[in-house]
Amino acid sequence: MSSADMPIVPDRPARLSLYGPFLPLLLVCLGPLAFALAQTSALERDMRIAATENMLWVVTQTQMESLSLTAAAAASDQTEAAVDHRYDMTLARLNLLQQGPQQRYMQKLGYADEIAEMSSRMRALDPQMHGHGPEQHAALYRAGVDMQPLLNRIANEVMTTEWIAASERLDDYRAVQRMVIVAVAFALLGALAMSWVLLRNQRELHRAELVALRAERLHALLEKERGTSAWYRDFAAMVSHQMRTPLTLIDSAMHRLARKGKAVTAADIAERQAVVRDAVGRLTRLVDAALLAGRLDNGQLVADTVAQPVRSLAQQAIDEMRARHPDRRIALSEGEAGLAADCDALLVGHVLGNLLSNALKYSAADSPVELRIFAQGNRVALAVTDRGAGIAPEDQPRVFERYYRGQGSETGTGTGLGLALAHDLARLQGGDVTMETWVGKGSVFTLWLPRAALREENE
Amino acid sequence: MNRSRIAGAMTGFAVALFCPERPALAEGVILSITGRIEGESARFTRAELEAFEQHSLQTSTSVTDGVREFEGFLMRDLMAAVGATGDSVEALALNGYQIAIPIADFERFDVLGALSMDGARLSPRDKGPIWIVYPRDAHLELDDIRYDMRWVWQLQALDVR
Repeated sequence: MSSADMPIVPDRPARLSLYGPFLPLLLVCLGPLAFALAQTSALERDMRIAATENMLWVVTQTQMESLSLTAAAAASDQTEAAVDHRYDMTLARLNLLQQGPQQRYMQKLGYADEIAEMSSRMRALDPQMHGHGPEQHAALYRAGVDMQPLLNRIANEVMTTEWIAASERLDDYRAVQRMVIVAVAFALLGALAMSWVLLRNQRELHRAELVALRAERLHALLEKERGTSAWYRDFAAMVSHQMRTPLTLIDSAMHRLARKGKAVTAADIAERQAVVRDAVGRLTRLVDAALLAGRLDNGQLVADTVAQPVRSLAQQAIDEMRARHPDRRIALSEGEAGLAADCDALLVGHVLGNLLSNALKYSAADSPVELRIFAQGNRVALAVTDRGAGIAPEDQPRVFERYYRGQGSETGTGTGLGLALAHDLARLQGGDVTMETWVGKGSVFTLWLPRAALREENE
Repeated sequence: MNRSRIAGAMTGFAVALFCPERPALAEGVILSITGRIEGESARFTRAELEAFEQHSLQTSTSVTDGVREFEGFLMRDLMAAVGATGDSVEALALNGYQIAIPIADFERFDVLGALSMDGARLSPRDKGPIWIVYPRDAHLELDDIRYDMRWVWQLQALDVR
């Protein structure tokens, strides 16, 4: 199991276990609160003062009015209008007792019939119908006095009924209060549990993030190690392959000389010498390239860029190449005279040498190779054109990869290092190497460098 | 116990406690208004109150069952007619009940000085001659004991303050 396969972020079922407890907790939290709210609003409705709560007042008012009437009827100095008024007020109170909620309350206490009887007795004594006289007033007085014990009883009973009702209501309030306290406690517990779940989730996510970060770092480290070991493997393969050829050449040259013994001529020695020198040159270039790549990989290679004319650099590279391949045609052309670039002469020499040697290597011995200098925007181009076979489409994307060698070139002398190195060295100077290729017609590899302005007198 | 002595004592009691200085009502006058109004006082007979634009109002009450239909004058019309300038009126009933009513109530609600209920003239033997009625069913806030207190029945006098 590689580090990349480690569970970095909790998967779906794990997420469910993270957030699953929320719904029941929310219910635990909100359910009791809703219950408490319902209880308290029922309490609020219950607390609305109903008209019947004024019953004691209604009864005492009736008693007061009937006593006033009794007193007025008994007095000798009261006017008829005053008695009429007291009679009206008494009837009004009796009427009130026999209406709507008051009537129902009296029925509940079992006094409705007695009140009706009392009321009709009073009604029958209407002085506005029967006139005012001593007898009439005496009858009113008796009726008024007779009302008192009943009204007294009713008042007592109303009071005790109200006391009981008030006590019962207080019991209800206490029960509601207890329920609300319990409900709020439950809600608090729910909220606490929810907070705990939230905290736990946060902690777990944080931990998962840490694990993921660590895994990522490990993965990067592993990739780097893999890359390094692959590089060494490829390097070893390339070196062993590339070194064997020139060593074999040197070896066979020496063998021939040894076999000839005394019969060796000066011409023989000169011929073998050329072969050996060529092989040693190849070995030297190979070791140079490998060292350069090693320094590049270790970050030790720093481009020493100076503004300088590119023509002389190109000429130098061509001269070296002509010396190695005296029988090949290498042309130099300039689109614009006096072009200069910010670059490192040593690195440019290496890149151009590589591009030119590739162009010669992959084209026919009788076809020319051209190095053309031109400017484009703020860049200077050194384009190496060959009329070789071109590069197969499947190889094209990997041309600049290190140790990648095209199909069918396994047996050739390519290192798989050259183009990749050329590319990296160009980048190191703020430039680039690009490729255009046409199968069967040839390729153009261009070294791009940042253009520089040189004063005329420097030319 | 001598009945006349009892009656005498009762009379004194009644005169002292139960018959506070009741404003003597002139013949036919059922409502008198005093206090901060134009002129010293205003008196209204039933006919004069019926001459105000009559409005009807259907509402339940706290002391009767069902919805009742009341008819009478708007209290704010009455206030305007007497040129009342105070903040409240002290309402006094035939039975001695007394309470202050903010005049703002009459502006906010169509408070009625009801002269009849369900087509029958209100009598002093019940809630008459005038019953102050609030449009209780049309405004939720009026279903409150603090407004029920202002439903003065047997209204006989108003003192603007």
